[in-house]
Amino acid sequence: MRLRTLVSNSTLLLRVVQSIDKLSKSAILKLTPTRLQIIVITELDSGLQLWCDLAADAIFKDYLIESAHNNEIYVEFNIDNLQRALRSTQSGALSVSMKLAKRQGLPVLSIIIRSQSGSGHEVSLIQDVPVRMLSAQQMEQIQEPTLPDGQVHFMMPPLNNVRSIAERMKGMGDRVAVSANREGEMRVRVANDLVDVTTYFRGLETMTLDATQEVEVDGEFHTAVIDMKNFLRFLQSYHVAPKNVVCCIVEHHAVIFYVYVGSAGYGGAAALNETSCGSLTYFLPVRQI
Amino acid sequence: MTAVHGTATEFVPMLFRAKLANVRPLVNMLKTISFRPRARCIISPDGLVFAVEESQCLVAQAYLRAELFTTFSYNVQLAEYYRNQEQEAFEDEVSQDGEQSDATQVVLPLDNLIECLTLFYGPAGTSASSTQSSSISATNLYTSGNPGDLRGATTAVIGFKGPGADFELMLEERGTISQCRLSTFVPEPPVDLRFSHYPTTQQLIIQSKWLRDAFNELDPTSESVHISIASTEPHFRISTMGENGSTDMTYSNSERILDSFFCNEDQENQYNLSLILKCKQALAMSDKTKIRINQRGFLSFQFMIPTSADVSFVNFVFAPLVSADEPVAPATARV
Repeated sequence: MRLRTLVSNSTLLLRVVQSIDKLSKSAILKLTPTRLQIIVITELDSGLQLWCDLAADAIFKDYLIESAHNNEIYVEFNIDNLQRALRSTQSGALSVSMKLAKRQGLPVLSIIIRSQSGSGHEVSLIQDVPVRMLSAQQMEQIQEPTLPDGQVHFMMPPLNNVRSIAERMKGMGDRVAVSANREGEMRVRVANDLVDVTTYFRGLETMTLDATQEVEVDGEFHTAVIDMKNFLRFLQSYHVAPKNVVCCIVEHHAVIFYVYVGSAGYGGAAALNETSCGSLTYFLPVRQI
Repeated sequence: MTAVHGTATEFVPMLFRAKLANVRPLVNMLKTISFRPRARCIISPDGLVFAVEESQCLVAQAYLRAELFTTFSYNVQLAEYYRNQEQEAFEDEVSQDGEQSDATQVVLPLDNLIECLTLFYGPAGTSASSTQSSSISATNLYTSGNPGDLRGATTAVIGFKGPGADFELMLEERGTISQCRLSTFVPEPPVDLRFSHYPTTQQLIIQSKWLRDAFNELDPTSESVHISIASTEPHFRISTMGENGSTDMTYSNSERILDSFFCNEDQENQYNLSLILKCKQALAMSDKTKIRINQRGFLSFQFMIPTSADVSFVNFVFAPLVSADEPVAPATARV
């Protein structure tokens, strides 16, 4: 098993890891010859899940990966450790590289940061992030949630607006109903015995992910009732391209958010697939009563 | 949740409807009395009064005159119709002292009302809460106290259909709309400290900045605060005696400090300090404060708060703890 690579875009990798920092303590890193995937599962079946999929060449250069199982490597790591290691890459590094290594018999992801000291000498900083190796069978068990097709897909309004409003609504209930129709309207509703608040966002761009499917434009709202806590976790976690977020409502099942990574500026639905190098997909399951 | 009032096809007329171009003045007025979870809202052709009471010895009221609203409509005939309906149902209802005969009273959750009105205020946790800071500084009715809050104005439409209905709010800011419904409750007879039932024996108007200074000096470890007003020097004295020693603020009847002064009878009374401190926010927003004490030693603070139209008022009435017979510790600072 071997992993050795230059990290050509450590900033992007850091931002992705920062996005998942508040979701959980640990995450799974799945590396294949072409893709880098990060998976966070908070509670099986009922919790928020994050599946991040990035093109390896958006982050790595001179990428060497070898293993007995399709040249894929799977590890579990502590998010905070990796975040701290990646933060060290941000202060004027000449180059960053990463490899899988063993320290005292235990596997680590070793991140080597080469920079220039004040006197002109090259200095190397090594950050070792302990990891737990996962077998192919263990990885097999971890699958993206299977869900029916969503009823409506649309571009989210600016996330910081939605976040500040949701934060003020959070005291009113632990469940939030997220609804949308195909006319570009989204509703966020929280209620308890004393107060019932519905906030409307309008003028949103709707779309279908399947170009052949005809979009019936109608005012019917489709709703999924999710945990307020998970909704806030998603809203508070964006560090990458907060302008290009697609929301999909799968009635009675989940709310899914697709955050497209690497797109520059807001290009609307059309620009999503062109300029992005991957995505973060947040699954927020419907709250079980 | 309260039951749906009427069906989609049944038209239920609005008893009360008002529009506000900017919710800030309303929010800041409500925050002056927001130390209780529920408030009584009294709707009349003159405007709205929000009232809270605590421990049967403090009553606070914030007055919002109809002129502060962009539009204000209250259906007096409909109000009378509902009142007659209630009286038929409860034959032995006693009419309240001092209650306006054409007013409608409803109790609603005050903290939720403020939460709804501040929905578009921006990130939570960054707004300054002056109840947390120990010293009072002047604030403005039109600011949120948070210098980082640069958002535009939230407009609001407030509506109420009548007894049993929800209190409705529709808020809007830059295209985003929020509809809020607050459950209402049947009001119980109000706590009436009956301040006006006894003659006012002492009255003065002081510029609020002096009173803020005095409040900042008060020792919060003291259980009570002594307030004495006399026709001889020192005319107005506020003092506490706590674990850290005693504090004493005195004011003389000089034009520079007291706008007016009237004293029929020298009196010194004690009041519960923690209750007195509940008026900090109202004091922070006011220009001037009118202080009155009646024959029974009940204390009234009337805070005059500048608004676009004129002046808005917030009233606090406190019952005394005990009428002190001995004078307090000797004077120290003299203003």
